[in-house]
Amino acid sequence: MPFSPRIARALTTVLGDSGIRDRAERLHYANAGHGYDAFGLNPEFVGLGEVIGKLAYEKYFRVQSYGAENIPSSGPGILAANHSGTLPMDGAMLWVDVIRHTNPPRCSRALADYFVPSLPVVSTLFARCGVVGGSRGNAQALLEAGELLMIFPEGVPGIGKPFSERYRLQHWTKGHCELAIRHGAPVIPVGIVGAEEQMPQIARIPVSGPIPYIPIPATLVPLPTKYHIHYGEPIPLHEEFSPEDADDPEIVREAAARVKSAVQALLERGLSMRKGIFR
Amino acid sequence: MISVLVTGATTTVGESLVRSLVADTRVRHVLAVAREAPEQAPLFSHGNRLTYLQVDLARSRHVRELLFGPARDLGVEVVVHLNQQDSGFQRGRRTHAANVEALRAMMDLADRHPTIRRLVLKSYAVVYKVSLELPVLVREEHPLNLSPKAPQYIRDRVEADLTACARMGLSSYETVVLRCAEAIGPGTGSQLFDYLDAPIAFRPMGFDPMVNVSTVEDVVCALERATHGSGEGVFNVPGFDTLPLSEAIRKWGTPSLPLPGPLVSKAYTLRHRLTGSKFSYGLNRNRLHLGLVLDGHRAADVLGYTPSHPLDWPVGGPVADPRLPA
Repeated sequence: MPFSPRIARALTTVLGDSGIRDRAERLHYANAGHGYDAFGLNPEFVGLGEVIGKLAYEKYFRVQSYGAENIPSSGPGILAANHSGTLPMDGAMLWVDVIRHTNPPRCSRALADYFVPSLPVVSTLFARCGVVGGSRGNAQALLEAGELLMIFPEGVPGIGKPFSERYRLQHWTKGHCELAIRHGAPVIPVGIVGAEEQMPQIARIPVSGPIPYIPIPATLVPLPTKYHIHYGEPIPLHEEFSPEDADDPEIVREAAARVKSAVQALLERGLSMRKGIFR
Repeated sequence: MISVLVTGATTTVGESLVRSLVADTRVRHVLAVAREAPEQAPLFSHGNRLTYLQVDLARSRHVRELLFGPARDLGVEVVVHLNQQDSGFQRGRRTHAANVEALRAMMDLADRHPTIRRLVLKSYAVVYKVSLELPVLVREEHPLNLSPKAPQYIRDRVEADLTACARMGLSSYETVVLRCAEAIGPGTGSQLFDYLDAPIAFRPMGFDPMVNVSTVEDVVCALERATHGSGEGVFNVPGFDTLPLSEAIRKWGTPSLPLPGPLVSKAYTLRHRLTGSKFSYGLNRNRLHLGLVLDGHRAADVLGYTPSHPLDWPVGGPVADPRLPA
């Protein structure tokens, strides 16, 4: 990073509030010796990330959170959420929401697509805030260390779904359930309402390179839709199955279908509860 | 009490290991060998527990004469093989012979040797493949860099590592492969040391990967544990310090300049041509962009090795162990 954790801390103190400062100080992480964990997370940058996200979280998207008590306060866990919105603002808002609603504060570790670590600046900033490349080895190491993963099983196709497909879950990958069963982690379904209308995508230009395509959105910036984040009750796959069951494709497929249904149900409940796209 | 043969004994790690073994009461005799003439290796005082020999291991006849001559006479039971060319720019048949064929010859001969029962190979973290779809925290099962485009420096190390691994369980002796994090210091042959010790460090703009660096003391500690241990296997030997590259540069006190990747390549090519510096951007390109940190759980569980010697950084000194109470 062009500046050190000390500067990040100073910026957090100046631009943030005492709550953010306090959460950054109490953040639990596996310090590998120099204030960073092995993946590059640094609590000062987590604090700065929260400062950056604060305006969007509080004023722009006016995030409202439901059922945050379902987030485990310690131990491994997997947040499985719908993904949408052309730009991954849903991931950022969920990340801030988890830090704000856990005590002691937890930094959820988002598994990003493979191309993300190849992006200059973004890769470094994301890594400092806990994002890791979406390889199986990274997920395994984090779960074994008792971390909370944030996974969007719809992946990049989800973020680029057409406006007409909003709130209809796309192809739902199964890796998160395999990880949950193998590493004894509960899956917490998350339905994010509001993000799917923030930046309607009208076209995309496929490109070869680090990113899969260039999106053509209908708006230049995300619309100030109101976010509602719904956490469902943890699905205790780790109690229902033994780690060896993670090798059984049928069990994993059924578990993934359960998680998908739970997320879809949260979305439907969230859509029925909200008063409008911007309210 | 065991006798130990140490190859590459005049390297920084080799010298430290030899000193440590000579001071070890469990060691009967140390047979230290290297290419340098004895008068160029004055640091070894030839006591009755240490013998230094000049041997060119790139010649298979010399290897045979060593193992079935002095090594047999001294009853060498453990061979610690450190013999690898340091320079990232050396290439060719002779370099390959020193890096790989010497080990191969040694393993062939050790199989029918009357006293050798254990071979410890110091391998390198650089054998691991670094790519976007692979984890940052690397275990021993991590894919190796088998790219045909990799420089000879890496290919030789991978071949030596695989040669040793392929014989595990099939030989009359035990084989231990230690994949060590880079020991930072003068004379260690460390690419990263040369990078940090330059008047200016060029960094790929926008990237700040995590690096794990070690010290000679920790590498020697792992080699000693492998020397006295039993059983065989491959073990990562991480260093104490895990930090972002930018932080390492800052703690080294080197000014850094972020540049677009192609310019970094050109800058280091030019620097090598003008100053003969050892740092090769081609060897380090991936790790200047993507992180690689060794997971040392297996070495901790089996060998009882955990890194305990932090680097004495020029700016700020060694970092305290966060795992210990303040």
